[in-house]
Parts: sequence; structure tokens; C-alpha cells
Amino acid sequence: MDPLNEKPQENINEDQQLAGEDMDMENIIHNEIPGVITTTSQGITEFLKTTKIQDLINWGRKNSLWFMAQAMGCCGVEIIVTGMSPMDTDRFGIIPRNSPRHADVMIISGYVTKKYLPALKRLWDQMPAPKWIICMGDCSISGGPFYESYSTVQNIDKIFPVDVYIPGCPPRPEALIQGFLELQKKIAAKKDKGTAYMR
Amino acid sequence: MDAEQIIKSLTTKFPDVISDAKVDSDIRISAYSEAEKIVEVCKYLKEELQFGHLSAVTAIDQIQKNEIDVVYLIASYDHPVVLKLKARLPRDNPEIESIVPVYWNANWYERETYELFGVQFKNHPDLRNLVLPDELLGDWPLRKDYKGFPNRTAKNLV
Repeated sequence: MDPLNEKPQENINEDQQLAGEDMDMENIIHNEIPGVITTTSQGITEFLKTTKIQDLINWGRKNSLWFMAQAMGCCGVEIIVTGMSPMDTDRFGIIPRNSPRHADVMIISGYVTKKYLPALKRLWDQMPAPKWIICMGDCSISGGPFYESYSTVQNIDKIFPVDVYIPGCPPRPEALIQGFLELQKKIAAKKDKGTAYMR
Repeated sequence: MDAEQIIKSLTTKFPDVISDAKVDSDIRISAYSEAEKIVEVCKYLKEELQFGHLSAVTAIDQIQKNEIDVVYLIASYDHPVVLKLKARLPRDNPEIESIVPVYWNANWYERETYELFGVQFKNHPDLRNLVLPDELLGDWPLRKDYKGFPNRTAKNLV
């Protein structure tokens, strides 16, 4: 039997795919991996025909969330683990980048001291326009153990437009990946052209 | 030399300078020194008593006694003893001679003590803030009467 014929004709519309009874084991395994999409050229054509252009742009944006490998505290260790091969965030298009000019997502992963805030603002200004911010860990959300310190900045969400909060001290890499998935849902539902730094 | 001998050597060399010298345990001795003679005491410790390792310089804000104690932790490779040497300074104008000519690694310790407690180290080669940003200099955040803490907690906690 030709193995090409065993592949599904269209995998983007998952409801039709799951409704079909004639799936073999190979396809089920493929569908159980989150983030992995197997499709055909015909499926892509159908997707392009039946989708609005803003949804297509959002689809592209949410599947290439390159984040800046910018570790600010002990959560930075979890960021590094998330970028390593066992987590395999590449299947969601989440790739660590070392330069802010390559990045789409900035992860605030720790307390922001008064000395570091100008550098963080400069990094955020250097990122190109469709860009998002994830607040990772208790320190960046509310101050954490350092909420009453003389040297940290309070209420970081008044300074940066934060999209997703991930609580934890520190959050596990799985929690960070879940935060990215929530950000993908937010981008997919977005009507405008992405966040610009307006404040 | 053990702890008793080190104390005896110090007090006989500087009878008017060293006070309250006592043995805390087998490996710890502590002494107070006059602030004006701290460089001479450190030089004697380093050259005659083989105390070659300055572990830390910090300060204690004694707000009830209205004074600031500068603390030098000096260790030795030859004797199993750590010396805790303190110098009392007035709280309104704490000034002490820098010991960088004796222990070169006191440079950054003294800068940190300066930015956190406001202790002025005279004849320091480069006395400026080490870690704190410039706008926090002059607040002396580790003093007990520091008022600059954020008076309301983070918004998300409330």
C-alpha cells in the first residue's frame, strides 16, 4: 500500500479529522504531540482560501514566538532549561534568541532593580514591533520576596504592557510552555496588528 | 600561635588602642580598636602576626548608642583564628582611614560599606558607589533609620 495515501488529507481542521473513524495508529500518534501539524499542500490551499488575512498573519505570528534569552534572576535557569532539547519548544516555534532585534517575546524573569530598569527599557525598545511580554515568576508579578526592598521597582505592569503572567517561584519549564500557549491563544484572537510600546 | 597569644601580642603592642579584646571561641577572637589607629593595627596584624587574609569589611548601625561600628574580619593562613576587629565611629559623621594600603582587596568592601552605610573612608583610591545606582547614593539604605522603603505593597498583592 502506498504510504502517502495513509496520510490525512487535511489536518488543520482537526474536528473533521477526529470525527473520521478510519484513522490508523500512525496518525493518532502524530495528533497527540502538541504543536505538531501534519498537512498537505491541498490543506494549505483550503486554509488560505477560507481564512481572513488577519487570521493568517496571527497564525504566522503565534507560531514563531522567538523569545529573548535574557535571564534576570533564578527563573533564568528555567528559561535556559526551556530552550534545551528535552523540552523541544521548537515544535511550537518557540526558539531562544540572543539578540533583542531577533526576538518577539521578552520574558521578565525576576525582580527589576532600579539600576536594571533603564537597560530593560532599552532592550524592549530594541525589539521589532509585533512584540509581547511574559511576566515569569512571583518576583516580576508582585515583587515576590523583594516587594519591600529599597532597590527594586514596584508594579512592573505599569511600566511594560504585560500579556501573560506565570506564577511560581520559579515556574517549571512546563509552566513556561503553558504560558507561551496562552500567549498563542491570545495572539490568535487578536484583531489589531500586535502590541507596540505606547507608554 | 593560639587565640590567647594573639590577644596578648596585640594588647602589649597597642595598649591604648585595643580594647575589649576577648576570645569568643577556639577559632574566633574579637577586639575593638581606636578608629585613628586602624591602619597601624592592620599593618601590625599583617606583617607581624601573619594575618594575611581580609575576609570582609562591613558595618553595624548601633542606633541606640548613636554610633556605627565598622567591622573587619581578618583571617590567617598560619593560625586557625579569625579576628573580628571593630572600630566605633560617631553616627552623624562616620569617618575612618582606608586600609587599602595594607589590604588591597578592601577596596570594593569599603566602597560597599560607603554606599550602604555612609561611612567615609579617607584616602581611599576611588570612593564611589559599587552596586547601587547613582540616585540612591546618599540615602544609606542599610541604616536603621532609612525611610525609603515603598510604603505600600505591590498592587497585585492587595
